[in-house]
Amino acid sequence: MVYAVLAGDRLPEIVAVVGATGVALMAFGLVSRWTSAFPAGLAGVAAAYGLYLALRNGAVDARAPAVAAAVFAAAELGFWSLQRTPSRSERAVLLRRIAALAAGAAATALVGSVLLVLATGASGGVGLEAAGVAAAVLAVASIARLSSRASV
Amino acid sequence: MTRSATPKLAVYAGLAALGLLAALATRRPELVLIAAPFALFAAVGLVLARQPQIDAAVELGAERTLEGDEIEVKVTLVAAVGAERVEVLMQLSRRLALVEGVNPVQLRLADGERRELTYRVRCTRWGAFRVGQVYIRAHDSFGLFRNEAVLDRRLPLKVYPSEENVRNLLRPLETQVFSGNHVARQKGEGIEFADLRPFVPGDRIRHVNWRASARRGELWINEQHAERNADVVILLDSFAEARRGDRSTLDPALRAAGTLAARYLQQKDRVGFVTFGGTLNWLLPTTGAVQLYRIVDAMLDTQIVLSYAWRDVTTVPRRTLPPQALVLALTPLLDNRSEAAMLDLRGRGFDLVVIEISPLELLPQPQGEAGVLADRLWRLRREAMRGRFERAGIPVAVWGDEVSLAAALEEVSAYRRRARAASA
Repeated sequence: MVYAVLAGDRLPEIVAVVGATGVALMAFGLVSRWTSAFPAGLAGVAAAYGLYLALRNGAVDARAPAVAAAVFAAAELGFWSLQRTPSRSERAVLLRRIAALAAGAAATALVGSVLLVLATGASGGVGLEAAGVAAAVLAVASIARLSSRASV
Repeated sequence: MTRSATPKLAVYAGLAALGLLAALATRRPELVLIAAPFALFAAVGLVLARQPQIDAAVELGAERTLEGDEIEVKVTLVAAVGAERVEVLMQLSRRLALVEGVNPVQLRLADGERRELTYRVRCTRWGAFRVGQVYIRAHDSFGLFRNEAVLDRRLPLKVYPSEENVRNLLRPLETQVFSGNHVARQKGEGIEFADLRPFVPGDRIRHVNWRASARRGELWINEQHAERNADVVILLDSFAEARRGDRSTLDPALRAAGTLAARYLQQKDRVGFVTFGGTLNWLLPTTGAVQLYRIVDAMLDTQIVLSYAWRDVTTVPRRTLPPQALVLALTPLLDNRSEAAMLDLRGRGFDLVVIEISPLELLPQPQGEAGVLADRLWRLRREAMRGRFERAGIPVAVWGDEVSLAAALEEVSAYRRRARAASA
């Protein structure tokens, strides 16, 4: 959120307001342990970055993989906090969890960088755009189907 | 195991969908980067999700123990299909305090792994417990699903009240016909010298008192007191109790009952047990170690049941109170019904001793002038009750925090000695 506000050259106040609302919602969700508030806040922070991108002129943001990794890490840490239980973790379990989180964030940054390079190199067109839409719809549909099957 | 999705799965799927749609709408590939990890995380987590299979076995260090002692509880977890994070909670009664071990604990179980969790538990209060209800909650590596199970592996644990230190027991006024450790009034085979009498044909030579025979010029025989057993009935007043937090007048009463039963049974006496109150429970007097276990098990079931029914000793089965039995009544003297029953028992000729479990330490400080006055009146009523007992010839020993049970019993013995001297 701070990055979006500082790096933005157009309407940084609006970006700041959206981001601050998101951060406040996240904080409220974590303090009150209200599970619905935290993702709404996370979406608010991501929306602030999206707004910054929409208002931004020019090329692709090179720092997007780092932002993606930060948002992902924040989400994971937030859910870790929300799913806190009175049970005491063994040291090995704790270390493995921290390592998995760090690996997830690093992988996000790495895959994001590769995707960004591919996106920057590709030339636009109706076909590519249609393929993007299809991929997005397919991804969301797959997740929805898998989750409905798995939660039975 | 019952499987359910965590809120994280729905949130990640929603964030991924939102991000991808926003990327399409704004035509910014950076938003795909934001959404992609959530989508990938959810998809990979769903593909790799599997149902853990975890079983548990519980082992107790002892099935019977004493109040205040510690026992070891071992929980063995066996995972046919493991899980990244497994939370294990062993349910414990609040009367069983965890001294060593982590409960609940979060650990990792690989496929086919076997883990032992050892807990050390202090039994803070007597009672019958069932230990070993294990709650298991397993999370996958991605935290998208939780699998929960309750494994009922409960085992019985009996915590007996701790013993009081008693050296000398009360001697019953009358003994029974079987051999035991009490010196009877009757003459017979024994050790204690009773009297001298002239020799009659059939007397054993080893009973001849040679010194007396030499002095009197004819054979004289030593007579002894027989050694007999006695019938002892422990009467526990369960009409009412005084309670403050975890402390109650019932606890010392049960400790005393257990101690007295054990000690009298050691002396080969027949011991019976009666819980006299809202509910009536009884054990017929008999001897032996088995009887001690029966009594202690019956004690564990004892509880104060509020009742307005008027009960008297006629409700107690006749065989439970054998004639000439020593009846030891353990009572906090809080209920008029128990007072009436005890006076009735004395009226029927039983050798009755009242051990008063003092409730005074458990009472709150009286507040205000009316409170102080009520407290004084209540104490006076108790004094009057004790006076009625003493007039009926019932010795009353007060047992509280400041007086040990041994001292209370000694007080009764002294009362009886004084009463015998006065009546002689």
